[in-house]
Amino acid sequence: MSEFRRVFASILLLFAASAGLAAGERNLRVAVLDNSPPMAFRDANGELSGFSLGIIRALCEEMRAHCSFQVTTLDRVVDELAAGEYDIAAVSLLDTPERRARIILAKPYFRSISLWFAKPGVLPGQAGIRVAVVRGSAQDRFARAKGWDTVGVQTNGELAEPLNAGLAQAAIIPMSSALNLMKRPEFRQLGLSSSVMPEPELGGDASFGIAPRRPELKEQIDAALERIKRNGTYDRINSQFLPFRVN
Amino acid sequence: MAPLTFIPRLSGLRAGHAFGFLGAAFILAFGIMVALVALDQQRVLEATARLQEQTVPEIIRYQRLARNLEQLRQEGERVFSAGTPQARQQAMFVVTLVASHPSVLEHKEAADLARQTERFLIDVVRHSARDAQAFAASYDEWQRLAGRLGILVDDVSIQGINLATADLTDVAGAMRLARYKLTAALLVVSLFLVVFLFLVRGHLIHPLQRIDRALSSLSVDRPAPEFRPSAMVEIQVVEEAIGELHASLLENEVARHALEKLANKDGLTGLMNRRHFLQTADTELQRAQRYQRPVTVGMADLDFFKKLNDTYGHAAGDAVLRAFAELANEMLRQSDFVCRYGGEEFAFLFPESTLVEAEKLAERFRARCADYDIRIPDGRLVRVTLSMGLADASACPIEVALRRADEALYMAKRQGRNRIVLADASGTVA
Repeated sequence: MSEFRRVFASILLLFAASAGLAAGERNLRVAVLDNSPPMAFRDANGELSGFSLGIIRALCEEMRAHCSFQVTTLDRVVDELAAGEYDIAAVSLLDTPERRARIILAKPYFRSISLWFAKPGVLPGQAGIRVAVVRGSAQDRFARAKGWDTVGVQTNGELAEPLNAGLAQAAIIPMSSALNLMKRPEFRQLGLSSSVMPEPELGGDASFGIAPRRPELKEQIDAALERIKRNGTYDRINSQFLPFRVN
Repeated sequence: MAPLTFIPRLSGLRAGHAFGFLGAAFILAFGIMVALVALDQQRVLEATARLQEQTVPEIIRYQRLARNLEQLRQEGERVFSAGTPQARQQAMFVVTLVASHPSVLEHKEAADLARQTERFLIDVVRHSARDAQAFAASYDEWQRLAGRLGILVDDVSIQGINLATADLTDVAGAMRLARYKLTAALLVVSLFLVVFLFLVRGHLIHPLQRIDRALSSLSVDRPAPEFRPSAMVEIQVVEEAIGELHASLLENEVARHALEKLANKDGLTGLMNRRHFLQTADTELQRAQRYQRPVTVGMADLDFFKKLNDTYGHAAGDAVLRAFAELANEMLRQSDFVCRYGGEEFAFLFPESTLVEAEKLAERFRARCADYDIRIPDGRLVRVTLSMGLADASACPIEVALRRADEALYMAKRQGRNRIVLADASGTVA
């Protein structure tokens, strides 16, 4: 009897060890931004936080993967992901043909819109103005495609600076960044008026990116996203960082 | 037997074919039922999969829309109640975002009302810059708008829930249908089982019971069993075989009798042989002695038979022996026994006869024999005489009685042949 128990215990141990090994092996390298509040930023303790961070942490937990975060910027993230420096880019990416050609887009995790911020009377496409955009963003691509003069910044958190400095007279700002900027008194003091930009390429589905060498991750991430949308995790993260349901 | 009368009278049907046909029909009917139930099951699976993969996300989407409309109402309220222009601007900005967000725009009713709310609030804010009383003046209208938003929140929530209701109704319908079909399938199974049992009972079990009864009472003393014509070929074959078995039993019985007779007879004369005579006589003596009835035995010998053989040949001797046997059968009573004891020697048994009565009978026989012409094969006529010794057998074993009779026969030969001599009770010859 004790013999049997010993054998049984060792089998169990082996099983547990192999399971642990399998789980331990799943290390994912994840690219994140750190100056794009409220999507991704460093909190008072310097820890990475935000809506995108909350979602990717929940997804990693759902996939039972250990995710290590590496900070980058929007203008580099697609290149680096395509080069295989990360497995996942936990960055909100609007669907553009260039991105679609180079990386894999996961199932959208929220829906965005873009806003035109300018002094009252300054309209999109007006001659003689310069438009602030984040380098590498869909808004950047849109403005260049229109032939507008742009002033590029590295992060969403810096979008107000060219406006403050008078280098730019307008900005195309994604919904979440706009929410954050509107809370800042110095931004409000600029007295800009905002309007929603109706162009479809400036709104709609925003997704995480997946390295083209890890196509099998898409199915796992999509399934994990579906699960956290159903089990309430998603909504709690939504309420923590954004004032309304963004999905 | 009465319930079997309604069973269709099939004739000459092979049981294997009949039951095979029934089984195939059963499998076909049951298979169709199962397939129909499986279709319903498929429908249930599809509906639940749809509920899981499409409807639940849809419901969640409606819940989020309801949440955003409620948020819109709250932010609108905040526009009116804000203490500072900054807070009002902030709330107004969220109103704009919610009213423009795809989650609201994709629902037409919600999009219209959100757009209307946004425009109303923008107007109010714009008026308030010129007219300090603008908020107070517009608050009633806002209350109505907020009320409509609240009702829309409820409507959207219910619309989401109702999506599940449709799926669940579909599932319930399929399940109900499946239950009817299952019941029908069970009825079909029961029906087939009942028919099957009746057919087995009527066409197999009862015939087998009849066959069993017929076999256990099969005997040469009874007539061949009669069977009602059976539908099943196999049963017919067995019943015919029983008839044939009965016929061969009868034939065997006849053959057995013939063999028995052959075994008990003397080949030349057709009389009892010695072995059978001794058996029969023994039985007869026991019976007589038990009931104290008289019984007499005799030993006889044809006189000068050797000479006759030498003179006329063995064929003549045989003819004489046969003729003597015929005469003995003719002259003796039905109950008397005679056997060829060996050569020209014969033994007799006279049941229910005293020595004296037997002597009368033997004397008549001797006299008849003495003047009886026997035609021998060459056409000539000869006569033979016989000598016989008689002994009482009512109180001694057959061997003793026969020995005494033999001694009396010897005496008859000595006294000159062609005569009857009696042995007296003491064993000496008179």
